[in-house]
Amino acid sequence: MHETDIHDLSDDADYAAASKQFECLGGEVKGYWFRGSSSVTRSDSSKKSSSSDPEDAQIVYLKDNVTIHPTQYATERISGRLKLIKQGSSLYMTWIPYKGQSSNPRLSEKDKNLYTIRAVPFSDIQSIRRHTPTIGWQYVIVVLSSGLAFPPLYFYSGGVREFLATVKQHVLIVRSSEDANVFLVNNFQDPLQRTLSSLELPRSLANGTPSSSFRGSPSDNNNQERLDTVTTSEDNHSGSGQLNIRQRQKTHDPARDLSIQVLEKFSLVTRFARETTSQLFRDNLVDGHGHGQSQSQSQSQSQSQGERRRNNWASKDHQPLEMAPIDDPIVPKLVPVPSDPIEFDKLSLVWGKPRQHPLGVEEWSSFLDYEGRIMDPDALKKRIFYGGVEHNLRKEVWAFLLGYYSYDSTYAERQYVVSVKTAEYMTIKNQWQSISPEQAKRFTKFRERRGLIEKDVVRTDRSLSFYEGDDNPNVRLLHDILLTYSFYNFDLGYCQGMSDLLSPILFIMQDESEAFWCFVSLMERLGPNFNRDQNGMHSQLFALSKLVELLDSPLHNYFKQNDCLNYFFCFRWILIQFKRQVEFEYDKTLRLWEVLWTHYLSEHLHLYVCIAILKRHRGKIMGEEMDFDTLLKFINELSGQIELDPVLRDAEALCVCAGENGAASIPPGTPPALPIPEASIYQQQDDEVL
Amino acid sequence: MASRRRMLLKVIILGDSGVGKTSLMNQYVNRKFSNQYKATIGADFLTKEIQFEDRLFTLQIWDTAGQERFQSLGVAFYRGADCCVLVHDVNVMKSFESLSNWREEFLIQASPSDPENFPFVVLGNKIDVDGGNSRVVSEKKAKAWCASKGNIPYFETSAKEGFNVEAAFECIAKNALKNEPEEEMYIPDTIDVARERQQKSSGCEC
Repeated sequence: MHETDIHDLSDDADYAAASKQFECLGGEVKGYWFRGSSSVTRSDSSKKSSSSDPEDAQIVYLKDNVTIHPTQYATERISGRLKLIKQGSSLYMTWIPYKGQSSNPRLSEKDKNLYTIRAVPFSDIQSIRRHTPTIGWQYVIVVLSSGLAFPPLYFYSGGVREFLATVKQHVLIVRSSEDANVFLVNNFQDPLQRTLSSLELPRSLANGTPSSSFRGSPSDNNNQERLDTVTTSEDNHSGSGQLNIRQRQKTHDPARDLSIQVLEKFSLVTRFARETTSQLFRDNLVDGHGHGQSQSQSQSQSQSQGERRRNNWASKDHQPLEMAPIDDPIVPKLVPVPSDPIEFDKLSLVWGKPRQHPLGVEEWSSFLDYEGRIMDPDALKKRIFYGGVEHNLRKEVWAFLLGYYSYDSTYAERQYVVSVKTAEYMTIKNQWQSISPEQAKRFTKFRERRGLIEKDVVRTDRSLSFYEGDDNPNVRLLHDILLTYSFYNFDLGYCQGMSDLLSPILFIMQDESEAFWCFVSLMERLGPNFNRDQNGMHSQLFALSKLVELLDSPLHNYFKQNDCLNYFFCFRWILIQFKRQVEFEYDKTLRLWEVLWTHYLSEHLHLYVCIAILKRHRGKIMGEEMDFDTLLKFINELSGQIELDPVLRDAEALCVCAGENGAASIPPGTPPALPIPEASIYQQQDDEVL
Repeated sequence: MASRRRMLLKVIILGDSGVGKTSLMNQYVNRKFSNQYKATIGADFLTKEIQFEDRLFTLQIWDTAGQERFQSLGVAFYRGADCCVLVHDVNVMKSFESLSNWREEFLIQASPSDPENFPFVVLGNKIDVDGGNSRVVSEKKAKAWCASKGNIPYFETSAKEGFNVEAAFECIAKNALKNEPEEEMYIPDTIDVARERQQKSSGCEC
């Protein structure tokens, strides 16, 4: 491979020299988060001869003010310089954050180190996704062959086109036939063959260098060392996290890194992690699936532990490796199913924390101070995350979770808010109520919008006693609130699915104005799902595909081979937050939603819920070789069959497991995260607004 | 011919929200009508085995969300369609006026190999409502539009009462069959299940 003669940019000293040569700002900072230099160091671990020739390298592209948004807060953005460096026949990408420019004390050097992209060779890059909204910043997402994606890089000063043009000059890139905004790197195949070839890429890279995968010993000890390192670093807010960087440099295989990182997280969850780690590595090695192919060296050392663990399982009557999950006990296996890299089903007992009983009145009052402020909102969210809320408390608690009440408000302040907001609601409602029939005749948009809402409210949860029967006043309230919302947010208007989201809120709040304002808060987060361009949905489906790739690569590969990567079969789950899936038990929807709304662990827990459900059925999906149509049908028909608590535990575990890599797979502003302010203006043409 | 494997015919139902797409599909496949359908989110489909002469076919009928805003999803669902059914509510003028948009959007997103000759069928649904007194789209008007778009077959239906639904779907199936490449299969001259049926429509001009 061509990597043998390239400069190892991952070496500290060399890189410092190169940085100096290139007058790079802050170039000596190192990150452990992504080992972008993987294929370089993997193939020339003993070769450093060319590394003293920085003259070989040439900067072919340089862009300042390229920025990462680690959170939705504007103050927590990290700006840096993006460069493309040509060396020999290889092209590298670096992104180095500026030093000492942060006005925000919460952004430590550690954070910056975390996101630094150090000399990633384009041979490690699978694709670049371009996003160029009309309003707001352009960004690109770089996806590695290993399946990891860097967080979106926002080009504050423009230059995405130039960036791609430069890449194109030096590396073979082709536009994806499926998505014109995706550019596939290293795609030497016929477009029709692409799916298969890119699928094989990580494996062939790992297999191609069987003996030089690691410099260090990837034993359990090393895992421990890495784990300690990470822990140390996370506890270290003084900015001296660089002390540990040398150690981290020892790992270079992106596939291995992924496994390790996943398993590190995993080990925080369960004390059986060590044995399981070995088990996973070995199983992956044996069946050739998953990320662990290159773990041969760890295998021998840990085999005995793994064996013991396996025996334990066997003795406890656990299911054998290839068996279907409990949900599908009688599924005939038509084809062999790759084992789950995270051994999901069997470990469910040690995954996720046990669900607790719902938060009750007495405990609730312990969260309030004498004036009614919530003393520790995070503790409250955590409590609700693990157990939900008793039904009679929901009206009060949901107002906090949804953001209608602020956590630091007093009883008196809330009373005041309610009266002010009620008046405000009535004012907005009056805007459409005062439209006379004569005026309505000349107001097509209003009539159409009202017509849509009328059609939908009479088919929303009518089997529920709260909404059943002719001339039900609650159906009328649904109508009024939705029409008022479509005036409050005229740009977004009304869209199907909104009535499904409002129905449980009205059912709980039992008050028109309060339900309205809670719905408004919810739509602040979910509004982009209903945009005409569906960008909110697309970014969630994209993130979902990235997360499945991260957490279950065999399943991801299966979807890829079967043309299912658009994840449209999860569309309904996401748009109406699983409501129709668990609708036969309305209470389950209420429980699921309050757990999701805590945003404890992640704002995007719902994506992990999707994965948890998919994983429960992965054996059936792959075993029966479902195609897109069959899969869609299968998922639509899961209605009412989803066990909430086990799925939530699995989702929690998956979320913990995916950790930072999971968070990085989700583009900033992806619902239900609050939109990035500059890009949040709904882009709708007038004649398309309904 | 009888030994050929069963063939899948893919049919897409499009039309404004609330015109009765889900009801038509359920009436045809399950012979049931419910007042309690929910707004379709995303897409779903039902299948029905049908027989023409000695051959069995699987009719796969796709029901999609009716709000324009979800049209961008069409790419995933319209692909490979053999026939497209455009539905309007004869009591709602807007739903009739939207037919052109639905037809064009379908042709863009499904991009069939021969858009000029791609088979569409138009259904004017809900003719039962208020004994026909609230009707605003006349049969003449609908037929004129169909004629202007290359003689699209037109049926007036009531999904609620099951009126003309069977006949409409027979025509839909027949058109879907016609869309298949010639070498793939044998096209029967007549379809026995459709015979002797009085249709309150321009009928299926296959």
